[in-house]
Amino acid sequence: MNKPFKLISVFAIAALMATTAAACSGNDGKGGNTGSAGETNAGGEEAAKPELKRLNVWASEDYNTYPVAGLLEEATGYKVKYDMLPQDKWAEKLNLIMSSGEPYDMVTSYSDMALYSDYAQKGALVDLTPLIDEFGPNIKAAIKQESIDALKVNGKLYAIPTTVTYEINSSILIRTDWLDKVGLPMPTTTDELTAVLKAFKEKDPGGNGERNVPLTIKGDQSMIDNLVGAFGMPNNWNDVDGKLVPRVMDPSYKDYVAYAADLYKQGLIDREFVANKDATAKEKFASGAAGAIVVHWADIPGISEALTKNLPDATFAYVPALKGPGGEFGFAANAGFDRLTYIPKSAEHPEDAIKWINASLEPDTFRNMAIGTEGTHFKMENGGYVPILPIFNDERNLANNFMAGTDEELYPQYWQARVRKSPVMFEAFDFLNNEQPDEAKKANALGLAPYMQQYAKNNQQLETMVGDYTVKLIAGAESIDGLADFQAKYMAAGAEASSGEINDWYATIQK
Amino acid sequence: MHSKTVKDYALDGTIYLLLTVMGLITLLPFANVLSKSISEEWAIVSGKVGIFPVGFQLDTLAFVVTNSQFLRSLWISVLVTAVGTLASLLVTALTAYPLSKRELPGMGFLIVLFIFTMMFSGGIIPNYLLIRELGLINHLGSLILPALVSVFNLLVIKSYFESLPASLEESAKIEGARNLTILFRIILPLSGPVLATIGLFYAVYYWNDYFNPMLYINSTSLKPLQLYLQDIVMNADTSSAIDKSADDLMNVPAEGVRSATVIASTIPILLVYPFLQKYFIKGVLIGSVKG
Repeated sequence: MNKPFKLISVFAIAALMATTAAACSGNDGKGGNTGSAGETNAGGEEAAKPELKRLNVWASEDYNTYPVAGLLEEATGYKVKYDMLPQDKWAEKLNLIMSSGEPYDMVTSYSDMALYSDYAQKGALVDLTPLIDEFGPNIKAAIKQESIDALKVNGKLYAIPTTVTYEINSSILIRTDWLDKVGLPMPTTTDELTAVLKAFKEKDPGGNGERNVPLTIKGDQSMIDNLVGAFGMPNNWNDVDGKLVPRVMDPSYKDYVAYAADLYKQGLIDREFVANKDATAKEKFASGAAGAIVVHWADIPGISEALTKNLPDATFAYVPALKGPGGEFGFAANAGFDRLTYIPKSAEHPEDAIKWINASLEPDTFRNMAIGTEGTHFKMENGGYVPILPIFNDERNLANNFMAGTDEELYPQYWQARVRKSPVMFEAFDFLNNEQPDEAKKANALGLAPYMQQYAKNNQQLETMVGDYTVKLIAGAESIDGLADFQAKYMAAGAEASSGEINDWYATIQK
Repeated sequence: MHSKTVKDYALDGTIYLLLTVMGLITLLPFANVLSKSISEEWAIVSGKVGIFPVGFQLDTLAFVVTNSQFLRSLWISVLVTAVGTLASLLVTALTAYPLSKRELPGMGFLIVLFIFTMMFSGGIIPNYLLIRELGLINHLGSLILPALVSVFNLLVIKSYFESLPASLEESAKIEGARNLTILFRIILPLSGPVLATIGLFYAVYYWNDYFNPMLYINSTSLKPLQLYLQDIVMNADTSSAIDKSADDLMNVPAEGVRSATVIASTIPILLVYPFLQKYFIKGVLIGSVKG
């Protein structure tokens, strides 16, 4: 009984090896073929521009049929075939594609420095500097030197960035009609905010009874924007006496937690906040049960529409930067990149890819791509670009996805046309980004930091660790007395290494 | 058997009631998604929509089913399911038939080879490389070929073939029929229930298959419905907002649109079930009783 089985296994393994060997030899043959095909292509390039293949992030419509694709084809003379990454787990798919050597001429992904520098260090990307020197005058003009420096890996540039276009994401959105009803002005300090929330709780201006919530937040939002700024730690890492320190190691962390925990204890922060999902918190505000919420300005149109339907008299506004007990205030301000575009080593037409990017950054083409033509897609009002709807939505809504590099001076202005699609959204955006004083915008020092191995590796896990811990502190499940223990654990879990790396770099730019 | 007493009726009634309630409870999430798809967006955002729709409207559903990408994905899914199911049935039956003949030389070895693939596979990366070397990346073949024969289904069909009386074939042979004629004119027509069941297994597999297209399809125009659905539904998950720009946040499809997409893509396969259910139940019994 044993013998035949052994025999069968031997056969099975032999068969497997035979097929593997066959697959390998097939592989070699094909590799040789593509090589020679590439050479012949290179010879004929002068005559005809090749079709380029570009991999991009997910978009809700097909890139290939979107109006901007046609516009770019006309302006650059290149036909581009666009594929896109999935929405979910895009990084895994990208890894698969990069490691299998798919011949994409351009790859655009979200700005993930860890991923990018990993590809660069493993030699999967083409060094862009010589190509840009030769074929990219527009690229040179559009991208600032500091952006290029931040993207260098071992002294070489492998990616062209699109930078973030605005600074402040979110603040506390408060019901101004509730403020009127309780007879209090818009709060400007943390103490005033406490008083306002107390009045919201006691006077119940919304008539919600049991359901009344002064301030709602979602469960993973233990670092409340604006409030963290009032305690001098708007960003994840903040400058304390010339060194960058993560929030949980910040001397103000204790004070912030004490303040937030007190709000929670008094019932001024949503009692159920730990279980709140993003949608739950928004439901509470949109239905009129909550007097304040922490949201990104891009979420405002949906909330506003629902709130107006439910309560036609409801009005709301963002709370300006609140002053804390120590007189500090401010918002975390974005710095750095939104997306990165790179050319994999497996690309068949790297020169043409750079030529294409260069052509797309030609000022008129770039402007047309970003906001269309004046009179058709946008009009000028008070020096601002105002979109003409609905054609702007139909033909330019996804335009940002086509960009491989932006004009870093002009694009933030063009871009505001997108925010003006919704007047309430623009009002909120304008208040945070244009009306707040510059001192209230605390730039994220790490936004333009170069790749740092330890930090890239540990950051996400450490942030989750601190977030969970802070939730427990605010909700009273942990005592602040255990802070030193937690800090020791936190440092041991990788923050020590990250901190060393970050401050070595930070010292070099302080001079 | 004694006749039912009042107590029996009461007990039966309670059991039926309980089972009905339990059955309805499983429908609740579906009812919630359905009512979201036909409610006004403001009501959804305010959390007012539970089991019943608020502010009835059909515009969202109409918007979703007229979306060109939805229609294209639907077409791809229907195509892959139809072609895949037919091809799978054909190839599986063609493989199962010779394996059902005890006089086949080396049969034990062949069966072991098949079973071997049931337990061991090359893994994702080798599979991906294989598909790539076959030139099937971004090709619908990559959705059908790897799933062409499921060994489990093969064994079910094989054991069904074995249960058919051998004398049928012998008489056909006496009449001068060759092997293929016997298979197509005699064996397959007699195998209706098992083919319908296995066909449904394959059809549901092809329809629901999400993993293969996720790996092998990059082109938007070739994405089947499940992949389209995944993209739409996951898009709103703001927990991944860290790597999203405001442009993406501004373009997140509304909750109503997502619900309507889920509904619209579930209905087609739901429609197939009632017609095949009777075979389904009959077919699953195959192999459970040897007779």
